[in-house]
Amino acid sequence: MRRRFILPALTVAVTVASLLVAVSPASAHGYISSPPSRQANCVSGAVANCGDIIYEPQSVEAPKGSTLCNGGGSRFAVLNDTSKPWPYAGVGKTVTFNWVITARHSTATWEYFIGGTLLASFNDGGAQPGATKQHTVSMGNFTGRQTILARWNIADTANAFYSCVDVNIGGGTTTPPTTTPTTAPTTTPPTTSPTTAPTGTWKAGTAYKVGDVVTYNGVSYRCRQAHTAIVGWEPPNVPALWLAI
Amino acid sequence: MARHLIGPVPLGLALVLALVAGCSPERPAVSAAPPFNATDVMFLQMGLAQITEGDQVAGLAAERAGDQRIRDVATELRAQWHDESGTMQRWLLGWQQPLAADPSAGAHAGHGALQALRPADIEDLKSTSKTDFDRTAVSLLLGQLANCVETSRMEESGGAYPPARALAATETQRRQSQIQRLLTLAATQ
Repeated sequence: MRRRFILPALTVAVTVASLLVAVSPASAHGYISSPPSRQANCVSGAVANCGDIIYEPQSVEAPKGSTLCNGGGSRFAVLNDTSKPWPYAGVGKTVTFNWVITARHSTATWEYFIGGTLLASFNDGGAQPGATKQHTVSMGNFTGRQTILARWNIADTANAFYSCVDVNIGGGTTTPPTTTPTTAPTTTPPTTSPTTAPTGTWKAGTAYKVGDVVTYNGVSYRCRQAHTAIVGWEPPNVPALWLAI
Repeated sequence: MARHLIGPVPLGLALVLALVAGCSPERPAVSAAPPFNATDVMFLQMGLAQITEGDQVAGLAAERAGDQRIRDVATELRAQWHDESGTMQRWLLGWQQPLAADPSAGAHAGHGALQALRPADIEDLKSTSKTDFDRTAVSLLLGQLANCVETSRMEESGGAYPPARALAATETQRRQSQIQRLLTLAATQ
C-alpha cells in the first residue's frame, strides 16, 4: 500500500533528474578520420576494448595546450595507452588529414605536432569550419613510426579537441623501416637484421604487401596477397592471405 | 521493510505518505500523465531533422560514389531511415507534438545550428569532382551519423517511452555499424 503511493513521487523525481542530464549541452565536435586517429581505430574495431570512446570519438575535448592524446582530460585515457596495439598507417612525406566535424565551432587554430615539434599551424581567425575539413602537412625530416598530435583550438572557449594519429612515414606497413631514420628516434626497437626476414608481429590496420613476413603467436607467415589487415584476418585464420613458413 | 517503519522514523514518513496519498485523488494528472517525457520528444524531433538532412547526403552517395562499399552503406541507411522516420512521425502525431522543434525554444540543447548540415554543404557535395566525391561524402556521412548516435544515446538514457527507447537502441547499433564500415574504408582511401 504505502509503497504504491510513494512510487509516483519517486518516478517524478527520477524523470526530472534524467531530464536535467539529457538537456546539458553535448560536447561533440570533431576528430580525424583519415589517416585513422586512435579514436577512429577504436570505433572501426581495428583496436579493441577502448571503452566509451567508440560512441563519441568526436568528444576528446580538454583545455588547450596539452600534449596528451586525450588532452589530459578525465575521460578517454585509453588514447594515451602506448601498450595498445595502435596500427601505424603508411604515409608519404606529406600527409592529408581529414576531419569529421560534428559541430562547427569558431576556430582559432589547427596544430600538428610530432613530439615537441610543431609541424604546421593553420590560423582560421575565429571562422567556423565547413562541414568537412582537410589539411595537408609536411612531415619535415621525420621518418618511420611517429605519433602525430593534432589540436583543434576553439576560438570562443578555453578548450581544444585532440586527435593522435600513428603513422609510418615513408613506409607502407607497420614493420620497421629498413633504412635508419635520419632524425627522431622511432618508437620501435631496432630490428635484428633485415635480411633474415622476421619483421614484426601481425597487427590489424596494417597494409601488407606480397612477401611481407610477420609473426603471429610465435609462428612466421609470408603475405600471399596485398591487403590491409583487420581483426578476424589473423594469419592462421586466412590461408589465402598468409602462408606459414 | 515493515520493520523499518516501526519507531520514530515512520512519523515523518507517514506524514509524507499521507500528503502524497491525500493529493492523489485531487490530482489525477499523476496517473493520467503522458507516457512520454521531453527527452522522448526531443529525440524524435532532432532525429527526424537529422534523417532529413542526412538522407540528402546518402541519396547522392548511393548514386554517385565510386566505391561500391559507400553506395552499399548509403543505400542501407536510406532504407532504415525510411522505416525509422515513419515510426517516429507517428509517435509525435499521436502525442500531438510538433514534428519539428521550435528553433527559438532551445530544444536542441544549445547546439542545433552548429550541428546541422546546411543547404550549401549539399550543393558543395553535388559540385564536388569525381575524385573528391567519395572522401567528401564519407566525411559528411560520418559527421551526420555521429550526431545521430548522440541523439539516440540521449534517448536511451533519458527517454521515458519504452518503445522509443527501444528504437533508439536499435538506431545506435545500426549507426555504429555504418560508422565502423565508413571509417574502415576511409582508412584506405
